[in-house]
Amino acid sequence: MKAFTFLAPEALDEAVALLDRHGRDARPIAGGQSLLLAMKDRIARPSVLVSLAGLADLRGWRYSPSGELEIGAATTYAALISAQFGGWHGEISAVAADLADRPVRTMGTIGGALCQADPRFDMPALAVGLGASVDTASAGGARTIPAAELFAASGGTVLGPGEILTTVRFPTLGAFSGVAFEKFRQRVFDAAVVSAVCGLRLDADARVADARIVLGAVAQAPVIAQRTGRQMTGRTLTEHDIAELGAAAMEEVLPVSQAMSSFHRYQRELVGVLVRRAITRALDQARS
Amino acid sequence: MQQITLTINGKSVTAEVDERTLLLEFIRDVAGYTGTHNGCMEARCGCCAVEVDGEIVKSCNVLALQVAGRSVTTVEGLSPQRLRPLEHITTQSLAGVYKPLDALGADAKDLHPLQSAFHRKHALQCGFCTPGMLMVLKDYLEDNPEPTREDVRRAISGNLCRCTGYQHIVDAAMDAAQQMRVAAAGADSTADAADA
Repeated sequence: MKAFTFLAPEALDEAVALLDRHGRDARPIAGGQSLLLAMKDRIARPSVLVSLAGLADLRGWRYSPSGELEIGAATTYAALISAQFGGWHGEISAVAADLADRPVRTMGTIGGALCQADPRFDMPALAVGLGASVDTASAGGARTIPAAELFAASGGTVLGPGEILTTVRFPTLGAFSGVAFEKFRQRVFDAAVVSAVCGLRLDADARVADARIVLGAVAQAPVIAQRTGRQMTGRTLTEHDIAELGAAAMEEVLPVSQAMSSFHRYQRELVGVLVRRAITRALDQARS
Repeated sequence: MQQITLTINGKSVTAEVDERTLLLEFIRDVAGYTGTHNGCMEARCGCCAVEVDGEIVKSCNVLALQVAGRSVTTVEGLSPQRLRPLEHITTQSLAGVYKPLDALGADAKDLHPLQSAFHRKHALQCGFCTPGMLMVLKDYLEDNPEPTREDVRRAISGNLCRCTGYQHIVDAAMDAAQQMRVAAAGADSTADAADA
Protein backbone atom coordinates (compact mmCIF):
# COMPACT_ATOMS: atom_id res chain seq x y z
CA MET A 1 0.00 0.00 0.00
CA LYS A 2 1.31 3.49 -0.85
CA ALA A 3 1.36 6.05 1.95
CA PHE A 4 -1.66 8.33 2.20
CA THR A 5 -3.26 10.94 4.44
CA PHE A 6 -6.53 9.90 6.08
CA LEU A 7 -9.14 12.63 6.48
CA ALA A 8 -12.43 12.15 8.31
CA PRO A 9 -14.80 15.04 7.61
CA GLU A 10 -18.08 15.27 9.52
CA ALA A 11 -20.23 17.02 6.94
CA LEU A 12 -20.87 16.56 3.23
CA ASP A 13 -19.75 20.07 2.17
CA GLU A 14 -16.53 19.55 4.11
CA ALA A 15 -15.92 16.24 2.28
CA VAL A 16 -16.65 17.88 -1.08
CA ALA A 17 -14.23 20.71 -0.31
CA LEU A 18 -11.48 18.27 0.74
CA LEU A 19 -11.87 16.20 -2.42
CA ASP A 20 -11.86 19.36 -4.52
CA ARG A 21 -8.71 20.66 -2.83
CA HIS A 22 -6.76 17.42 -3.29
CA GLY A 23 -7.92 16.79 -6.83
CA ARG A 24 -7.22 13.52 -8.63
CA ASP A 25 -4.95 12.14 -5.89
CA ALA A 26 -7.86 11.97 -3.42
CA ARG A 27 -10.38 9.16 -3.22
CA PRO A 28 -13.49 8.89 -1.05
CA ILE A 29 -13.63 5.73 1.08
CA ALA A 30 -16.91 4.33 2.42
CA GLY A 31 -16.54 0.71 3.62
CA GLY A 32 -13.33 0.25 1.67
CA GLN A 33 -14.02 -3.39 0.84
CA SER A 34 -13.02 -2.94 -2.82
CA LEU A 35 -10.75 0.10 -2.48
CA LEU A 36 -8.47 -1.42 0.18
CA LEU A 37 -7.98 -4.57 -1.89
CA ALA A 38 -6.98 -2.40 -4.85
CA MET A 39 -4.67 -0.30 -2.65
CA LYS A 40 -2.92 -3.38 -1.25
CA ASP A 41 -2.18 -4.46 -4.84
CA ARG A 42 -1.21 -0.86 -5.68
CA ILE A 43 -3.80 -0.82 -8.42
CA ALA A 44 -5.22 2.23 -6.64
CA ARG A 45 -2.66 4.57 -5.10
CA PRO A 46 -4.46 7.61 -3.69
CA SER A 47 -2.38 10.02 -1.62
CA VAL A 48 -5.45 11.24 0.28
CA LEU A 49 -8.39 9.19 1.55
CA VAL A 50 -11.54 11.10 2.49
CA SER A 51 -13.66 8.90 4.75
CA LEU A 52 -17.43 9.12 4.27
CA ALA A 53 -18.10 7.18 7.49
CA GLY A 54 -18.68 10.33 9.55
CA LEU A 55 -21.38 11.72 7.25
CA ALA A 56 -24.67 10.80 8.91
CA ASP A 57 -26.66 12.04 5.87
CA LEU A 58 -25.14 9.29 3.75
CA ARG A 59 -26.44 6.46 5.93
CA GLY A 60 -29.92 5.04 6.37
CA TRP A 61 -32.98 5.21 4.18
CA ARG A 62 -36.34 6.95 3.94
CA TYR A 63 -39.31 7.35 1.62
CA SER A 64 -39.52 10.68 -0.17
CA PRO A 65 -42.91 12.52 -0.16
CA SER A 66 -43.51 11.15 -3.68
CA GLY A 67 -42.91 7.57 -2.47
CA GLU A 68 -39.42 7.02 -3.87
CA LEU A 69 -37.08 4.93 -1.71
CA GLU A 70 -34.00 7.03 -0.93
CA ILE A 71 -31.03 5.04 0.36
CA GLY A 72 -27.94 6.85 1.62
CA ALA A 73 -24.95 5.81 -0.50
CA ALA A 74 -22.85 4.80 2.52
CA THR A 75 -25.56 2.48 3.88
CA THR A 76 -24.01 -0.93 4.47
CA TYR A 77 -25.39 -4.18 3.10
CA ALA A 78 -25.95 -5.30 6.70
CA ALA A 79 -28.21 -2.27 7.26
CA LEU A 80 -30.08 -2.97 4.01
CA ILE A 81 -30.68 -6.56 5.10
CA SER A 82 -32.23 -5.51 8.40
CA ALA A 83 -34.31 -2.73 6.80
CA GLN A 84 -37.94 -3.77 6.54
CA PHE A 85 -38.67 -2.55 3.02
CA GLY A 86 -42.24 -3.07 1.85
CA GLY A 87 -43.41 -4.56 -1.47
CA TRP A 88 -40.89 -5.12 -4.24
CA HIS A 89 -38.33 -2.95 -2.44
CA GLY A 90 -37.79 -6.09 -0.32
CA GLU A 91 -35.82 -7.52 -3.25
CA ILE A 92 -33.08 -4.96 -2.50
CA SER A 93 -32.64 -6.51 0.97
CA ALA A 94 -32.74 -10.01 -0.50
CA VAL A 95 -29.95 -9.15 -2.97
CA ALA A 96 -27.87 -7.52 -0.21
CA ALA A 97 -28.29 -10.66 1.92
CA ASP A 98 -26.95 -12.95 -0.80
CA LEU A 99 -23.69 -11.33 -1.89
CA ALA A 100 -20.08 -11.62 -0.70
CA ASP A 101 -20.06 -12.97 2.88
CA ARG A 102 -21.26 -11.91 6.31
CA PRO A 103 -18.19 -9.92 7.48
CA VAL A 104 -17.86 -8.13 4.13
CA ARG A 105 -21.55 -7.13 4.25
CA THR A 106 -20.91 -5.37 7.58
CA MET A 107 -18.54 -2.92 5.87
CA GLY A 108 -19.55 -2.92 2.19
CA THR A 109 -21.93 -0.19 1.04
CA ILE A 110 -24.46 0.12 -1.78
CA GLY A 111 -22.85 3.33 -3.07
CA GLY A 112 -19.39 1.81 -2.87
CA ALA A 113 -20.48 -1.07 -5.10
CA LEU A 114 -22.02 1.36 -7.62
CA CYS A 115 -18.89 3.54 -7.71
CA GLN A 116 -16.64 0.50 -8.03
CA ALA A 117 -18.86 -0.44 -10.99
CA ASP A 118 -17.49 -3.98 -11.22
CA PRO A 119 -19.79 -5.54 -13.83
CA ARG A 120 -19.95 -8.77 -11.81
CA PHE A 121 -21.26 -6.98 -8.72
CA ASP A 122 -24.98 -7.28 -8.02
CA MET A 123 -25.86 -3.68 -7.15
CA PRO A 124 -25.05 -2.08 -10.54
CA ALA A 125 -27.29 -4.56 -12.38
CA LEU A 126 -30.01 -4.23 -9.74
CA ALA A 127 -29.95 -0.42 -9.83
CA VAL A 128 -30.17 -0.32 -13.63
CA GLY A 129 -32.76 -3.11 -13.72
CA LEU A 130 -35.06 -1.39 -11.26
CA GLY A 131 -34.72 2.02 -12.89
CA ALA A 132 -32.89 3.61 -9.94
CA SER A 133 -31.10 6.94 -10.12
CA VAL A 134 -28.30 8.43 -8.02
CA ASP A 135 -27.68 11.87 -6.53
CA THR A 136 -24.14 13.19 -6.47
CA ALA A 137 -22.42 16.19 -4.91
CA SER A 138 -19.24 17.90 -6.04
CA ALA A 139 -17.63 21.32 -6.01
CA GLY A 140 -19.38 21.92 -9.35
CA GLY A 141 -22.80 21.35 -7.78
CA ALA A 142 -25.27 18.52 -7.29
CA ARG A 143 -26.81 16.39 -10.03
CA THR A 144 -29.05 13.37 -10.43
CA ILE A 145 -28.03 10.62 -12.87
CA PRO A 146 -30.20 7.66 -13.94
CA ALA A 147 -28.37 4.43 -13.01
CA ALA A 148 -28.53 3.38 -16.67
CA GLU A 149 -26.34 6.39 -17.53
CA LEU A 150 -24.05 6.10 -14.50
CA PHE A 151 -21.98 3.27 -15.95
CA ALA A 152 -19.67 3.94 -18.87
CA ALA A 153 -19.89 1.36 -21.67
CA SER A 154 -16.12 0.88 -21.47
CA GLY A 155 -16.25 0.25 -17.70
CA GLY A 156 -16.25 2.48 -14.63
CA THR A 157 -18.65 5.33 -13.97
CA VAL A 158 -19.22 8.75 -15.50
CA LEU A 159 -18.57 10.43 -12.13
CA GLY A 160 -15.92 13.14 -12.21
CA PRO A 161 -12.98 13.30 -9.79
CA GLY A 162 -14.15 14.65 -6.46
CA GLU A 163 -17.79 13.79 -7.17
CA ILE A 164 -19.43 11.98 -4.24
CA LEU A 165 -22.38 9.66 -4.70
CA THR A 166 -24.78 10.65 -1.93
CA THR A 167 -28.12 8.91 -2.48
CA VAL A 168 -29.45 5.96 -4.43
CA ARG A 169 -33.14 6.41 -5.22
CA PHE A 170 -35.40 3.56 -6.28
CA PRO A 171 -38.77 4.27 -7.94
CA THR A 172 -42.07 4.15 -6.06
CA LEU A 173 -43.78 0.86 -5.18
CA GLY A 174 -46.26 1.55 -7.99
CA ALA A 175 -43.51 1.42 -10.64
CA PHE A 176 -43.45 -2.39 -10.68
CA SER A 177 -45.89 -5.13 -9.71
CA GLY A 178 -43.11 -7.71 -9.52
CA VAL A 179 -39.31 -7.72 -9.61
CA ALA A 180 -36.73 -10.47 -9.41
CA PHE A 181 -32.93 -10.66 -9.34
CA GLU A 182 -31.28 -13.94 -10.32
CA LYS A 183 -27.59 -14.76 -10.54
CA PHE A 184 -25.23 -17.64 -10.98
CA ARG A 185 -21.84 -17.90 -9.30
CA GLN A 186 -19.42 -20.78 -8.80
CA ARG A 187 -19.16 -20.49 -5.02
CA VAL A 188 -21.51 -18.72 -2.64
CA PHE A 189 -19.13 -15.82 -1.93
CA ASP A 190 -18.03 -15.31 -5.56
CA ALA A 191 -19.15 -12.44 -7.77
CA ALA A 192 -21.74 -13.36 -10.40
CA VAL A 193 -20.82 -15.11 -13.66
CA VAL A 194 -24.08 -13.67 -15.01
CA SER A 195 -26.90 -11.85 -13.23
CA ALA A 196 -30.37 -11.01 -14.56
CA VAL A 197 -32.99 -8.56 -13.33
CA CYS A 198 -36.63 -8.45 -14.38
CA GLY A 199 -38.97 -5.68 -13.32
CA LEU A 200 -42.50 -5.68 -14.70
CA ARG A 201 -45.87 -4.02 -14.21
CA LEU A 202 -49.15 -5.76 -15.01
CA ASP A 203 -52.33 -3.97 -16.14
CA ALA A 204 -55.83 -4.68 -14.82
CA ASP A 205 -56.20 -7.65 -17.21
CA ALA A 206 -52.93 -9.24 -15.97
CA ARG A 207 -51.19 -8.34 -19.23
CA VAL A 208 -47.65 -6.97 -19.06
CA ALA A 209 -47.94 -3.17 -19.28
CA ASP A 210 -44.25 -2.46 -18.96
CA ALA A 211 -41.13 -4.62 -18.52
CA ARG A 212 -37.40 -4.23 -18.06
CA ILE A 213 -34.79 -6.94 -18.47
CA VAL A 214 -31.20 -6.16 -17.49
CA LEU A 215 -28.16 -8.44 -17.55
CA GLY A 216 -25.04 -8.02 -15.43
CA ALA A 217 -21.47 -9.33 -15.93
CA VAL A 218 -21.92 -9.91 -19.69
CA ALA A 219 -20.23 -6.58 -20.59
CA GLN A 220 -18.29 -3.80 -18.86
CA ALA A 221 -21.58 -2.19 -17.79
CA PRO A 222 -25.06 -3.62 -17.11
CA VAL A 223 -26.88 -4.31 -20.39
CA ILE A 224 -30.55 -3.43 -20.92
CA ALA A 225 -32.23 -6.04 -23.14
CA GLN A 226 -34.61 -3.54 -24.69
CA ARG A 227 -35.91 -5.74 -27.48
CA THR A 228 -36.74 -8.58 -25.07
CA GLY A 229 -38.45 -6.13 -22.73
CA ARG A 230 -40.59 -4.75 -25.56
CA GLN A 231 -41.56 -8.27 -26.66
CA MET A 232 -43.12 -8.82 -23.25
CA THR A 233 -45.47 -5.84 -23.25
CA GLY A 234 -49.17 -6.26 -23.97
CA ARG A 235 -49.09 -10.05 -23.46
CA THR A 236 -50.31 -12.52 -20.88
CA LEU A 237 -47.18 -14.61 -20.55
CA THR A 238 -47.30 -18.41 -20.49
CA GLU A 239 -44.50 -20.78 -19.60
CA HIS A 240 -43.85 -21.28 -23.32
CA ASP A 241 -43.59 -17.49 -23.86
CA ILE A 242 -41.09 -17.21 -21.01
CA ALA A 243 -38.87 -19.89 -22.57
CA GLU A 244 -38.96 -17.94 -25.85
CA LEU A 245 -38.11 -14.71 -24.05
CA GLY A 246 -35.08 -16.38 -22.45
CA ALA A 247 -33.89 -17.42 -25.90
CA ALA A 248 -34.60 -13.93 -27.25
CA ALA A 249 -32.48 -12.37 -24.47
CA MET A 250 -29.64 -14.76 -25.34
CA GLU A 251 -29.71 -13.62 -28.97
CA GLU A 252 -29.98 -9.97 -28.02
CA VAL A 253 -27.28 -9.80 -25.34
CA LEU A 254 -24.76 -12.44 -26.41
CA PRO A 255 -25.47 -13.53 -30.01
CA VAL A 256 -23.59 -16.59 -31.24
CA SER A 257 -21.32 -14.35 -33.34
CA GLN A 258 -20.11 -12.60 -30.15
CA ALA A 259 -19.90 -15.64 -27.90
CA MET A 260 -16.52 -16.73 -29.19
CA SER A 261 -14.84 -18.24 -26.11
CA SER A 262 -16.13 -21.19 -24.11
CA PHE A 263 -16.63 -18.80 -21.17
CA HIS A 264 -18.86 -16.54 -23.27
CA ARG A 265 -20.81 -19.51 -24.60
CA TYR A 266 -21.32 -20.56 -20.99
CA GLN A 267 -22.49 -17.04 -20.13
CA ARG A 268 -24.82 -17.13 -23.14
CA GLU A 269 -26.53 -20.26 -21.83
CA LEU A 270 -26.79 -18.66 -18.39
CA VAL A 271 -28.47 -15.56 -19.86
CA GLY A 272 -31.27 -17.76 -21.19
CA VAL A 273 -31.71 -19.65 -17.94
CA LEU A 274 -31.50 -16.65 -15.60
CA VAL A 275 -33.82 -14.44 -17.67
CA ARG A 276 -36.40 -17.26 -17.62
CA ARG A 277 -36.06 -17.61 -13.85
CA ALA A 278 -36.24 -13.85 -13.29
CA ILE A 279 -39.36 -13.40 -15.44
CA THR A 280 -41.05 -16.39 -13.80
CA ARG A 281 -40.40 -15.14 -10.29
CA ALA A 282 -41.32 -11.52 -11.09
CA LEU A 283 -44.59 -12.74 -12.65
CA ASP A 284 -45.38 -14.93 -9.63
CA GLN A 285 -44.84 -11.94 -7.36
CA ALA A 286 -46.96 -9.68 -9.59
CA ARG A 287 -49.84 -12.17 -9.78
CA SER A 288 -49.94 -13.02 -6.07
CA MET B 1 1.49 8.90 11.61
CA GLN B 2 -1.70 9.36 13.53
CA GLN B 3 -2.63 8.58 17.11
CA ILE B 4 -5.64 6.36 17.64
CA THR B 5 -7.33 4.60 20.52
CA LEU B 6 -9.23 1.33 20.23
CA THR B 7 -10.86 -0.70 22.97
CA ILE B 8 -9.77 -4.30 22.46
CA ASN B 9 -11.45 -6.96 24.61
CA GLY B 10 -12.41 -4.25 27.08
CA LYS B 11 -8.91 -2.80 27.33
CA SER B 12 -8.13 0.61 25.90
CA VAL B 13 -5.11 0.62 23.57
CA THR B 14 -3.64 3.91 22.34
CA ALA B 15 -0.81 4.09 19.82
CA GLU B 16 0.65 6.28 17.15
CA VAL B 17 0.42 4.28 13.94
CA ASP B 18 1.03 4.68 10.21
CA GLU B 19 -2.17 5.50 8.32
CA ARG B 20 -1.77 2.25 6.38
CA THR B 21 -2.05 0.11 9.51
CA LEU B 22 -4.81 -2.44 9.07
CA LEU B 23 -7.08 -3.32 11.97
CA LEU B 24 -5.50 -6.80 11.84
CA GLU B 25 -2.01 -5.34 12.27
CA PHE B 26 -3.17 -3.10 15.11
CA ILE B 27 -4.69 -6.06 16.95
CA ARG B 28 -1.69 -8.37 16.47
CA ASP B 29 1.35 -6.10 16.42
CA VAL B 30 0.26 -3.13 18.53
CA ALA B 31 -2.14 -4.70 21.03
CA GLY B 32 -0.47 -8.14 21.01
CA TYR B 33 -3.61 -10.27 20.58
CA THR B 34 -2.19 -12.89 18.26
CA GLY B 35 -5.30 -15.07 18.28
CA THR B 36 -6.55 -13.11 15.29
CA HIS B 37 -4.79 -14.77 12.37
CA ASN B 38 -3.36 -13.31 9.20
CA GLY B 39 -4.38 -15.74 6.49
CA CYS B 40 -4.74 -14.20 3.05
CA MET B 41 -4.78 -10.42 3.54
CA GLU B 42 -7.41 -10.14 0.81
CA ALA B 43 -10.68 -10.67 2.68
CA ARG B 44 -11.07 -14.21 1.37
CA CYS B 45 -10.18 -16.67 4.11
CA GLY B 46 -11.86 -15.14 7.17
CA CYS B 47 -9.09 -16.12 9.64
CA CYS B 48 -8.87 -12.48 10.74
CA ALA B 49 -12.57 -11.99 11.57
CA VAL B 50 -13.24 -9.90 14.68
CA GLU B 51 -16.23 -8.01 16.03
CA VAL B 52 -16.29 -4.21 15.96
CA ASP B 53 -19.07 -2.87 18.20
CA GLY B 54 -20.71 -6.29 17.94
CA GLU B 55 -20.59 -6.43 14.13
CA ILE B 56 -18.35 -8.97 12.42
CA VAL B 57 -15.66 -7.67 10.03
CA LYS B 58 -12.58 -9.06 8.29
CA SER B 59 -9.85 -7.10 10.04
CA CYS B 60 -7.37 -7.49 7.16
CA ASN B 61 -9.59 -5.34 4.97
CA VAL B 62 -10.34 -2.50 7.39
CA LEU B 63 -7.97 0.32 8.29
CA ALA B 64 -7.40 0.80 12.00
CA LEU B 65 -8.28 4.46 11.35
CA GLN B 66 -11.70 3.48 10.00
CA VAL B 67 -12.66 2.04 13.39
CA ALA B 68 -10.81 4.53 15.64
CA GLY B 69 -12.52 4.93 19.00
CA ARG B 70 -14.61 1.79 18.62
CA SER B 71 -14.69 -1.43 20.60
CA VAL B 72 -13.17 -4.61 19.18
CA THR B 73 -13.69 -8.18 20.38
CA THR B 74 -11.19 -10.81 19.28
CA VAL B 75 -11.23 -14.55 19.91
CA GLU B 76 -9.39 -13.89 23.19
CA GLY B 77 -12.47 -11.99 24.31
CA LEU B 78 -14.73 -15.07 24.08
CA SER B 79 -13.65 -16.52 27.43
CA PRO B 80 -11.03 -14.22 28.90
CA GLN B 81 -11.09 -15.55 32.44
CA ARG B 82 -9.36 -18.81 31.56
CA LEU B 83 -6.22 -17.46 29.92
CA ARG B 84 -2.84 -17.87 31.56
CA PRO B 85 -0.24 -15.35 30.41
CA LEU B 86 0.64 -16.02 26.82
CA GLU B 87 4.30 -17.00 27.36
CA HIS B 88 3.25 -20.12 29.31
CA ILE B 89 1.57 -21.63 26.25
CA THR B 90 3.85 -22.83 23.49
CA THR B 91 3.55 -25.45 20.82
CA GLN B 92 5.99 -27.57 22.84
CA SER B 93 4.04 -27.29 26.06
CA LEU B 94 0.85 -28.32 24.22
CA ALA B 95 2.43 -31.15 22.22
CA GLY B 96 3.16 -33.51 25.08
CA VAL B 97 -0.10 -32.96 26.90
CA TYR B 98 -2.88 -35.47 26.52
CA LYS B 99 -5.58 -32.99 27.51
CA PRO B 100 -4.95 -29.67 25.81
CA LEU B 101 -7.51 -27.88 27.97
CA ASP B 102 -5.42 -28.75 31.04
CA ALA B 103 -2.39 -27.17 29.41
CA LEU B 104 -4.38 -23.98 29.02
CA GLY B 105 -5.41 -24.11 32.66
CA ALA B 106 -8.96 -24.19 31.41
CA ASP B 107 -12.09 -26.07 32.17
CA ALA B 108 -14.62 -26.97 29.49
CA LYS B 109 -17.27 -25.03 31.40
CA ASP B 110 -15.17 -21.84 31.25
CA LEU B 111 -15.24 -21.90 27.48
CA HIS B 112 -17.69 -20.08 25.27
CA PRO B 113 -20.35 -22.61 24.12
CA LEU B 114 -18.85 -22.46 20.63
CA GLN B 115 -15.36 -23.16 21.86
CA SER B 116 -16.43 -26.15 23.93
CA ALA B 117 -18.54 -27.44 21.00
CA PHE B 118 -15.51 -27.12 18.70
CA HIS B 119 -13.52 -29.14 21.28
CA ARG B 120 -16.24 -31.76 21.74
CA LYS B 121 -17.04 -32.20 18.04
CA HIS B 122 -13.44 -32.18 16.82
CA ALA B 123 -14.09 -29.11 14.67
CA LEU B 124 -10.45 -28.17 14.23
CA GLN B 125 -7.27 -29.87 13.17
CA CYS B 126 -4.49 -27.35 12.56
CA GLY B 127 -6.58 -24.61 14.17
CA PHE B 128 -5.50 -21.77 11.92
CA CYS B 129 -9.01 -20.90 10.72
CA THR B 130 -10.59 -21.50 14.14
CA PRO B 131 -10.47 -17.93 15.55
CA GLY B 132 -12.27 -16.62 12.46
CA MET B 133 -14.77 -19.48 12.46
CA LEU B 134 -15.55 -18.87 16.14
CA MET B 135 -16.04 -15.13 15.72
CA VAL B 136 -18.23 -15.39 12.61
CA LEU B 137 -20.33 -18.17 14.14
CA LYS B 138 -20.70 -16.25 17.42
CA ASP B 139 -21.95 -13.21 15.53
CA TYR B 140 -24.23 -15.36 13.38
CA LEU B 141 -25.71 -17.54 16.14
CA GLU B 142 -26.46 -14.53 18.34
CA ASP B 143 -28.61 -13.14 15.51
CA ASN B 144 -29.96 -16.53 14.34
CA PRO B 145 -30.41 -18.87 17.30
CA GLU B 146 -32.19 -21.60 15.29
CA PRO B 147 -30.21 -22.16 12.09
CA THR B 148 -30.35 -25.13 9.74
CA ARG B 149 -27.13 -26.83 8.65
CA GLU B 150 -27.48 -25.06 5.29
CA ASP B 151 -27.76 -21.67 7.08
CA VAL B 152 -24.57 -22.38 9.02
CA ARG B 153 -22.74 -23.31 5.82
CA ARG B 154 -23.81 -20.01 4.26
CA ALA B 155 -22.79 -18.07 7.39
CA ILE B 156 -19.23 -19.42 7.18
CA SER B 157 -19.01 -19.14 3.39
CA GLY B 158 -16.39 -16.41 3.88
CA ASN B 159 -14.21 -18.64 6.06
CA LEU B 160 -11.89 -21.20 4.52
CA CYS B 161 -10.82 -24.36 6.34
CA ARG B 162 -8.36 -26.65 4.59
CA CYS B 163 -8.41 -29.46 7.18
CA THR B 164 -11.82 -30.48 8.37
CA GLY B 165 -13.97 -30.47 5.25
CA TYR B 166 -16.34 -28.26 7.30
CA GLN B 167 -18.49 -31.21 8.39
CA HIS B 168 -17.38 -31.14 12.01
CA ILE B 169 -17.47 -27.34 12.11
CA VAL B 170 -21.14 -27.44 11.11
CA ASP B 171 -21.73 -30.18 13.71
CA ALA B 172 -20.11 -27.98 16.36
CA ALA B 173 -22.11 -24.92 15.31
CA MET B 174 -25.39 -26.83 15.53
CA ASP B 175 -24.39 -28.18 18.94
CA ALA B 176 -23.32 -24.73 20.16
CA ALA B 177 -26.55 -23.20 18.85
CA GLN B 178 -28.50 -25.57 21.06
CA GLN B 179 -26.30 -24.82 24.10
CA MET B 180 -26.71 -21.11 23.50
CA ARG B 181 -30.50 -21.49 23.21
CA VAL B 182 -30.57 -23.36 26.53
CA ALA B 183 -28.37 -20.69 28.14
CA ALA B 184 -30.56 -17.89 26.73
CA ALA B 185 -33.74 -19.64 27.96
CA GLY B 186 -32.10 -20.02 31.40
CA ALA B 187 -31.18 -16.34 31.46
CA ASP B 188 -34.74 -15.42 30.45
CA SER B 189 -36.32 -17.52 33.20
CA THR B 190 -33.98 -16.06 35.85
CA ALA B 191 -34.89 -12.61 34.60
CA ASP B 192 -38.58 -13.55 34.79
CA ALA B 193 -38.08 -14.87 38.32
CA ALA B 194 -36.33 -11.64 39.29
CA ASP B 195 -39.26 -9.67 37.82
CA ALA B 196 -41.73 -11.77 39.82
